[in-house]
Amino acid sequence: MNDFLEILVVGIGNGAIYAMLGLGLVVIYRSTGLLNFASGELAMFSTFIVWTFWNFGLPMWLAILGGMVGGFLIGVLVHKVAVSPLGDPHERPLAVVIVTIGLFLGLNGAAQLIWGTVDKRLDPWFGVSQITVGGVAIAWQKIGAVVVLFMMVLLLWALFKFTKVGLSMRAVASNSESSALCGVSVQNMLMLGWGMAAGIGTLAGVFSAPNLGLGTNLMQLTLVFGFAAIVLGGFDSILGAVVGGFVVGILSSVVPQYVSVFEKMPLAPAFILILAVLLFRPQGLFGSKEVARV
Amino acid sequence: MKTLRGLGLVQTILWAVALIVVIVLPFTSAPFRVEQYITWMTIAVAAAGLNLLTGYNGQISVGHGALYGTGAYTVAILVTDAEWPLLPTVIAAAIVCFVVGVIIGLPALRIKGLYLALVTLAVATLFPLVIEQFSDLTGGSGGLTLTSEQLYRGSIRDRRVKWESPIDGLASDQWKYFIFLAISIICFVVIANLVKSRVGRSLVAIRDNETAAEVSGINVSRTKILTFGVSAAIAGIGGAMFALNKGQVNPTSFTLTLSIYLLVAVVLGGASTVIGPAIGAVIYGVFIDVISPELPESLHSATPLILGTLLVAQMLMAPSGIVGGFHDLTARISRRKQGGGKQDKNEEVTVTTHEVVAETDLETDPGGFHP
Repeated sequence: MNDFLEILVVGIGNGAIYAMLGLGLVVIYRSTGLLNFASGELAMFSTFIVWTFWNFGLPMWLAILGGMVGGFLIGVLVHKVAVSPLGDPHERPLAVVIVTIGLFLGLNGAAQLIWGTVDKRLDPWFGVSQITVGGVAIAWQKIGAVVVLFMMVLLLWALFKFTKVGLSMRAVASNSESSALCGVSVQNMLMLGWGMAAGIGTLAGVFSAPNLGLGTNLMQLTLVFGFAAIVLGGFDSILGAVVGGFVVGILSSVVPQYVSVFEKMPLAPAFILILAVLLFRPQGLFGSKEVARV
Repeated sequence: MKTLRGLGLVQTILWAVALIVVIVLPFTSAPFRVEQYITWMTIAVAAAGLNLLTGYNGQISVGHGALYGTGAYTVAILVTDAEWPLLPTVIAAAIVCFVVGVIIGLPALRIKGLYLALVTLAVATLFPLVIEQFSDLTGGSGGLTLTSEQLYRGSIRDRRVKWESPIDGLASDQWKYFIFLAISIICFVVIANLVKSRVGRSLVAIRDNETAAEVSGINVSRTKILTFGVSAAIAGIGGAMFALNKGQVNPTSFTLTLSIYLLVAVVLGGASTVIGPAIGAVIYGVFIDVISPELPESLHSATPLILGTLLVAQMLMAPSGIVGGFHDLTARISRRKQGGGKQDKNEEVTVTTHEVVAETDLETDPGGFHP
């Protein structure tokens, strides 16, 4: 039983990371309607920025803040230079895929160029100590991940619910033409969305790096897990990303333990989940249904 | 009329030069280069298969590296475990990949556009893990070396497969080069004929407007599934050639990066053009095998940065790729020259303009990614 609980704890810790990356994906999907295949690499890149600050001697929280600002700026730049000239993503899906894949390659190459190909070590933000609850050891780092995730969700919820900026972003997402007529700067809002998504992704990277080692492949598996999370939760639902993240995290740590066929592929349950949800319930658990006019 | 013939001449010359270069290259390059050229061919073939699906049919796949890998592993297992002769394994790889492609093609009927890209991306990420999971068959992370029972110093032992040239004066790497060149050319000729046929037109029709295609009497589901199968089979042939060329397979060769580079080859060369993927594969090969090793150690990883930047820049500025751009250019030149001669031969010009328009439509319309 304790074994199971410990595996469960690992799954919840990972789930929080997947949910963070998923949140970034949801923010971008809500504001621009596209799936950002480069979001994992954006997160990886800004985690390297965090490492640089941290390695320079800054305290961890300040380094993370710096990395998030850096990620935000890169996200803004990426949107301005590469994404906004494309126009409506659902009209030209291939162009969107190609551009985000190009960014994927480019960011990966840039990171290798700047930081080299040897993995860096980033200390866990909340230290290596753990507490024991009912015979189950729980690392503070995992509790920290869950707490940070919920703070982010609260902040995002408050932003969209109570602030003028959040209202404008929602307006742009639901009808960009009408909101432009009301005086909302559509491009600025989309840019803000990209920046925010990249900033949030940084946290996913910061929590992944101590376990996986900070290399340029840091987020490649996590990206698929993050996508699985938002597929399950619904592409445009913040709550969905969180619930989906935890479900995917728990599935991918529990299933390989007990099903020997999946022993070396924790990704397989997530993949089956993606396929099943897209086939039978494309809007996910909490997402809104897509309606097309023929 | 004359200008058209002139442009045709340019094309013929380009083809002739390409042919001569392709034939002369293995005689003027070092053996390791010749092996690299063969790798480029395998990329070209796989990219051509991907182009059939993504360029012509509009079903986006970021997972063709997995099919390439499936082809490679089929060959490796058949040669090593089942003692097959080398070349028939290529056909077996094509058949296996066709079946796998059809299986992936079934859910792709419901999952479209960006979401299909997402699923195939997951397939590409999953593939190396699947290989490691079933290590009894695939050799796990250590990979498989292609061996066969050969006579060695009087006794029969398992040794690495080799290509013995039956022709005097042709080294084994050159012999291998021409065999794989022949297979590649067959693949491209098959694709060229396919896209010019009724089937090819229905692929494009489905890409441009699925409902309209259905209404015009095309069996959309069947066509899409078969396209997935054929595309996968061709990618599998590419992978089979890869395994036979290297003599070994390893899960690290078939990661997501490979799938991405296949897409890069298609898009840079020119999607929905027959020869585009080959040109894209050569550009990729020149970057990876020729330019990158020349750079100082610290700049080696500049290659993905450059290719990624090129990809984004091209998508924004010239989405039809190199071959598509060439067609646009020749069409514009011939149109301008037509305009200049208008006063002299009024009657002939009206006829030729029609022909020019017809030709440009045929040549440029399937190219590029317009909505």
